[in-house]
Amino acid sequence: MSQTSIAVAGLGAPLKGKRPVTRSFWQNVFRRLTRDPVTMICLAILVLIIIAAVFAPLIAPHDPYRTSMARRLIAPGDARYWLGTDELGRDLLSRLIYGGRLSLFTGFTPVLLATVIGGTLGIIAGYLGGAINMAIMRVIDIFYAFPSVLLAVAISGVLGAGIGNTILSLTLVFIPPVARVAESVATQIRAQDFVEAARATGAANWRIVSSHVVPNVTGPILSYASSLISVSIVLASGLSFLGLGITPPEPEWGLMLNTLRQSIYVAPLNAVMPGVMIFITSMCFNLMSDGLRSAMDVKQ
Amino acid sequence: MIRRSFLWLLSAASLTAVMCVAARHDSALAQSKPGVLRVAMTAGDIPLTTGQPSQGGEGIRFIGITLYDGLTRWDLSKSDKAAEVIPDLAESWTVNPGDQKIWTFKLRKGVKFHDGSEFNADAVVWNLDKLMNKETPQFDQAQANQAASYSAPIASWRKIDDWTVEITTKRVDAVLPYNLANLFMSSPKRWEDLGRDWSKVAEKPSGTGPWMLESFKPRERAELVRNPDHWDKTRITKSERLILLPMPDPNTRVAALLSGQVDWIEAPPPDAVPRLKQQKMQIVTNLYPHIWPYQLSFLDDSPFKDIRVRKAANLAIDRDGLVKMLGGLAVPAKGMVNETHPWFGKPTFEIKYDPEQAKKLLKEAGYGPEKPAKVKIVISPSGSGQMQPLPMNEFIKENFADVGIDMEFEVLDWEALRTRRRLGAEAPENKGRHGVNNSWGYWDPDIGLIAAAGSFARVPVGFNWGDYKNEKADALALKAKATFDPVEQAKILGELHSVIVDDAMWVWMVHDLNPRAMRPNVKGFVQAQSWFQDLTPVVVE
Amino acid sequence: MFVYALRRILYTIPIAIGVSLVCFALIHLAPGDPLSSVIPEGASAEMIAQIRTAYGFDRPLPVQYLKWLGHVVTGDFGTSIMTRRPVLAEVLPAVLNTLTLASAAVLFGFALGCLFGVISGYVAGTPTDRSVAAFSITGVSIPHYWLGMVLIVIFAVNLNVLPATGMGEGGSGSFGFNWDSLQYLILPALTLSVIPAGIIARAVRGTVAEVRKQDFMQTLYAKGLPGRRVFVHVVKNALPAVLAVMGLQLAQLLGGSILVETVFAWPGTGFLLNNAIFTRDLPMLQGTILVLAMFFVLINLLVDILQTAVDPRIKRA
Repeated sequence: MSQTSIAVAGLGAPLKGKRPVTRSFWQNVFRRLTRDPVTMICLAILVLIIIAAVFAPLIAPHDPYRTSMARRLIAPGDARYWLGTDELGRDLLSRLIYGGRLSLFTGFTPVLLATVIGGTLGIIAGYLGGAINMAIMRVIDIFYAFPSVLLAVAISGVLGAGIGNTILSLTLVFIPPVARVAESVATQIRAQDFVEAARATGAANWRIVSSHVVPNVTGPILSYASSLISVSIVLASGLSFLGLGITPPEPEWGLMLNTLRQSIYVAPLNAVMPGVMIFITSMCFNLMSDGLRSAMDVKQ
Repeated sequence: MIRRSFLWLLSAASLTAVMCVAARHDSALAQSKPGVLRVAMTAGDIPLTTGQPSQGGEGIRFIGITLYDGLTRWDLSKSDKAAEVIPDLAESWTVNPGDQKIWTFKLRKGVKFHDGSEFNADAVVWNLDKLMNKETPQFDQAQANQAASYSAPIASWRKIDDWTVEITTKRVDAVLPYNLANLFMSSPKRWEDLGRDWSKVAEKPSGTGPWMLESFKPRERAELVRNPDHWDKTRITKSERLILLPMPDPNTRVAALLSGQVDWIEAPPPDAVPRLKQQKMQIVTNLYPHIWPYQLSFLDDSPFKDIRVRKAANLAIDRDGLVKMLGGLAVPAKGMVNETHPWFGKPTFEIKYDPEQAKKLLKEAGYGPEKPAKVKIVISPSGSGQMQPLPMNEFIKENFADVGIDMEFEVLDWEALRTRRRLGAEAPENKGRHGVNNSWGYWDPDIGLIAAAGSFARVPVGFNWGDYKNEKADALALKAKATFDPVEQAKILGELHSVIVDDAMWVWMVHDLNPRAMRPNVKGFVQAQSWFQDLTPVVVE
Repeated sequence: MFVYALRRILYTIPIAIGVSLVCFALIHLAPGDPLSSVIPEGASAEMIAQIRTAYGFDRPLPVQYLKWLGHVVTGDFGTSIMTRRPVLAEVLPAVLNTLTLASAAVLFGFALGCLFGVISGYVAGTPTDRSVAAFSITGVSIPHYWLGMVLIVIFAVNLNVLPATGMGEGGSGSFGFNWDSLQYLILPALTLSVIPAGIIARAVRGTVAEVRKQDFMQTLYAKGLPGRRVFVHVVKNALPAVLAVMGLQLAQLLGGSILVETVFAWPGTGFLLNNAIFTRDLPMLQGTILVLAMFFVLINLLVDILQTAVDPRIKRA
């Protein structure tokens, strides 16, 4: 998981097409995506999970915090508690639905933040070049010189558990690879004729960046960032599993896995359930990311 | 091409199958060997081996009282009553009637360290210097740190003759013999022989205890062998060899026991117990001086300043439900100490599950469903003696919500929580925190009652975290400290306990039953009512 | 080539210094006092100050850093607060154990990854490709610590065919290339291998598909070469990239095995790190992270140079 695609995919997302990206490019991508059944199925599953998480109070059949020792560890398939109950007798289905909120949030947010921060840094470094590029990229290189899981665990371990620290540590882990992708694309764009031409006509830097660089960088970054979401979800749940992530009593999949695993000998099905949710979600994001990448691959 | 790949896959699969069959054959070899006892500890590392072990109670249990002796020791041979302190390397002692701060200890003759050198008064003085006298070459900060809470009452010490030692305490302190049970005597000769280097001694320590350390590998294992020349012939170990394995993860311990990799595990998770029993494992439990409480803040911003809220909190908790969640491996608390303990006394406030009464008390205190009492408690996800802190706290949160107490958590890791406890409720770090969920022991009167309740024992000198003040408690605490007759002292401690229970000083939940699980062929173990246990009579058949 | 290697090596020095700075800073960002774990119950203020001086925490930060760096360069990584043993003496054997685990995992991953990668790369675009791809994505999507838990319950507890934890009867000291030791490696390595397996499968698939599309392959086909020869060409062309991925994966797993080591009580760096975090043993934490990061930098450097040497087509600035 986690450390995974960062190293590989990051460098494997070269600039496609040498012309400025046009509206029709995104229309094409969109059309390809809608015709890809795998992507569409994954999208449907994810939309379902997200809707369930967002409208959890309306959808969840029971109170996810309501404990009862009388009904602890009921096996899945119960008439009242469809997926059974956890070690405190709380409805597992409701907790999985609510758990999606934090799990998805801790999956999305670091990627979003890293995309914005890393993308900006990368574009600045790539477009301006020279000493600024040097300064930004060498600092990025230092953080890139840590194995990603190690960096996340180290930061969370040092700062302590909590949602804020988890998001902070994951964001720090994801900024360097995103920045590298953005920088390499921005550097290539900068050398393009149309950018030179725009400069020659005296266009302001911000205008060139917003009209030429950003649209071209968006594709590769988006494609790369989409592959990070699943990494982020699995890594965040791993931190919770180690006791370095989300703090109780909030339902979160990694944390649920952590507290339920002691019951694995008496209620194995209940204990593996949160793991299955993490797996399905991360799998769907991965498949969608793949779909997006091949839809953006102009050569195909 | 693809077909060939599948052939590869097929052969790989069959190879794996063959290996599994071979493993099944082999794992029979991995089963227990007679005379070798393999124990999975909850600690993440082998405790410090030089004398004063690290890792708290578990360190003393497996590295302290195994390799070493103290001047006194806990009698761990009975399971039906609270463990008591008895003579060990000191045969007897007297308190000077003129100045009760002066104690004279008569040492046992004929005791030898593992390296063959003789234990005598010089060794005692040398060891106390090791812990408390920075001017001496053998002073060791690491051991001093571990010993500090036990050595704190001692002011000075000197040799009278080869077999007599005098120890002077800082103030009149009847608790001293308890403290001495945790101050261990290491061999001065071994330290000299190894170039006066404690880190070398750690590899090859020498004490007078019933076991000798043969080898250890940090975080992996320690191998102890029988000391055939131990002075107490009744405590020559029944097992030849004791292997200690650190396994902090509870599920790992269970898997190791079930797959035959170890014979004994500490603290199996309650939910694994049915499975362990089904595989014919023995589950051994007993009371021990442990309480799982919320230590409360009495500062002005704390709702717990009001005794009605404290009582309501104590009445709001469904302890039987909690015990059920813990698989029966705990007993509901009726106070700081358990009901059968000599220090229980006769409190009038009965701690039980009575949500209606709790609601009534809260209403009197000005709280209600519309205006719940808001409290914030510091908890940890794990830690020694913390049991199953996360689900337990979540359960109590629900209980509190039912009566109108709105509890919020701050989750810190175990060491961070301990730091917060040492800082006291008044520290800026603890601002707005109204309690700390730090499991507690009452193995001696100081830790259990006197320094927890006395207003003179604020942290960090004592253990009074929340600035609790009660004149009656203070008077009884000081009186107990100066009472040398054990029966009389227990009576005073009982009165002190009654006072703090009636005052609902803390919120007390449950006493842990200290579960351990062992393979059916482990015999001879008597689980004492103590944080420490004697491994000498245990044998694997 | 030589110049490139030299420049690449020189460039590693500022990175290494930066890494050491981050490691150092990390520890001092920690909330709470690093001393908390050594200060005994009821210590007096005087005693706390004494311990602080003894551990060197009373000096200003830049002084502490330079002093620390000076020690690090000479191989002195400090002393563990908890155990008082030298950090390096603790970390190095642990690194060796983790390396054993990570290498086994990468080898498993290589075998599985190549198998699936070649199949799907060969039939790129077909339904077989998609299903194999889905399978390889499983590897990068599954929370592997969870998989480890499940494998322990199945193979160690229920079937009782493989050991559940540790490195063998004699511990890591007597670990060797015999069945008694290797059986302990199977479950954790298999668990850890799902990541490299997934990634290598993706990399192999990509390279194989790419190579097959290239002009010279079309020529080979046009020449009517038999399938086997074409396959050899494909492998030859795909190998450098795949080997590079393997190297990088090995480096990532060195730092990424923490969860699996925790589940399997494998006495490696992850286990060490987890321990150090929960006992707030900051020198140990610092030392472990630094050693691992240095290994990571080193392996990346080696992979880079080797890849350039093996595949002259890769031109570098």
